[in-house]
Amino acid sequence: MIVAERKPIDEILGFLSKHQKIMLLGCGGCVTVCLAGGEKEVGILGSELAMARAKEGRPLEVVQRTIERQCDFEYFEGIRHEVKDVDAILSLACGIGIQTVAEAFPDKVVWPGVNTKFLGVNQNVGVWAERCQACGQCVLDKTGGICPVARCSKSIFNGPCGGSQHGKCEVSADTDCAWALIHDRLTRLGQVDSMREILPVKDWSHSRDGGPRKLVREDLTLESGK
Amino acid sequence: MSNGKDFQPKIVAFCCENSGWLAAEAAARLELGYPEKVELIKLPCSGKIDVLYFMKAMEKVDGVMILACQKENCKFLKGNERAKSRVLQTQRLLKEIGIEEDRVTIQYLAANMGNKFVEIVQNMYDKVRELGPNPGKVIK
Ligand code: SF4
Ligand code: SF4
Repeated sequence: MIVAERKPIDEILGFLSKHQKIMLLGCGGCVTVCLAGGEKEVGILGSELAMARAKEGRPLEVVQRTIERQCDFEYFEGIRHEVKDVDAILSLACGIGIQTVAEAFPDKVVWPGVNTKFLGVNQNVGVWAERCQACGQCVLDKTGGICPVARCSKSIFNGPCGGSQHGKCEVSADTDCAWALIHDRLTRLGQVDSMREILPVKDWSHSRDGGPRKLVREDLTLESGK
Repeated sequence: MSNGKDFQPKIVAFCCENSGWLAAEAAARLELGYPEKVELIKLPCSGKIDVLYFMKAMEKVDGVMILACQKENCKFLKGNERAKSRVLQTQRLLKEIGIEEDRVTIQYLAANMGNKFVEIVQNMYDKVRELGPNPGKVIK
């Protein structure tokens, strides 16, 4: 999932300083699962913002809504009539959702309520870790299902580097060496010999190096567009 | 802080139905009184409390509390521990917007402790009275 974290309250209050009525908009997708921007977080932040502003003697009306997803245009139709009455929207979705809100409501100020951190997994209650960088050309078939792009600090393709110590990465003792994990897993699978194969230089044009990416699937597109 | 003699704080006490709520009933049987602006809300376990409930309550009252079973005595094993962590989280949220964290508390008691119930509620009432009105109250 996409993992996000609420922005510091002072930063959010700063964004909203000139507004009297906002919509605080949650998303039912990833940010609900990672407890950053779902219905409950909307309720809690809504209370916090309203109380902070009441304390300053400058009340803030917070319309609290959470939609199915903020990364699909159709879900905004249900709130369109309410959006016209607010000064701005504070979105608790990931960066994708926030931009989609801005695109759906071109005349409305849209503020980000979270910092979008990474694509990752929930390891324990309150603990998330990065797993994928959306490099555009997955190599998990060659690395025992462990990503060298996202999980090796140097994104090395033929690791480990000389800094791997007792299974930990030299960059941080808290971080597992991805290549030690890859080695151990391939050993368990009886495929460790495959590590002798030198992985070729990665073609990063499928990643960010080729500029913003777009995917068009001819089998799905309709003549009418969106 | 002095806040005038007239200030009567409003307090919400969320009560676990296995301890706080029964202790309130025990207090009633003993005909013990406590401040009338304390509203009791029954929960099936203190672990049912949520940061959201505390925050919504704090929009309109001066203090909130959760009355939970004694440590190691929760019918659902860890409800009171979970309640405690939610109290701490609520305190952090209030603190970051400059509201006194003492306005939220957890207290532990058993079902038969009518006297203790009144003591806890009275202490909270006195403490919040000392703090004065909740400066972040949204719904007056
Ligand atoms: S190789 Fe690329 S697509 Fe595959 S998990 Fe790693 S970053 Fe993601
Ligand atoms: S120690 Fe392992 S994870 Fe860290 S940079 Fe070297 S190969 Fe990558």
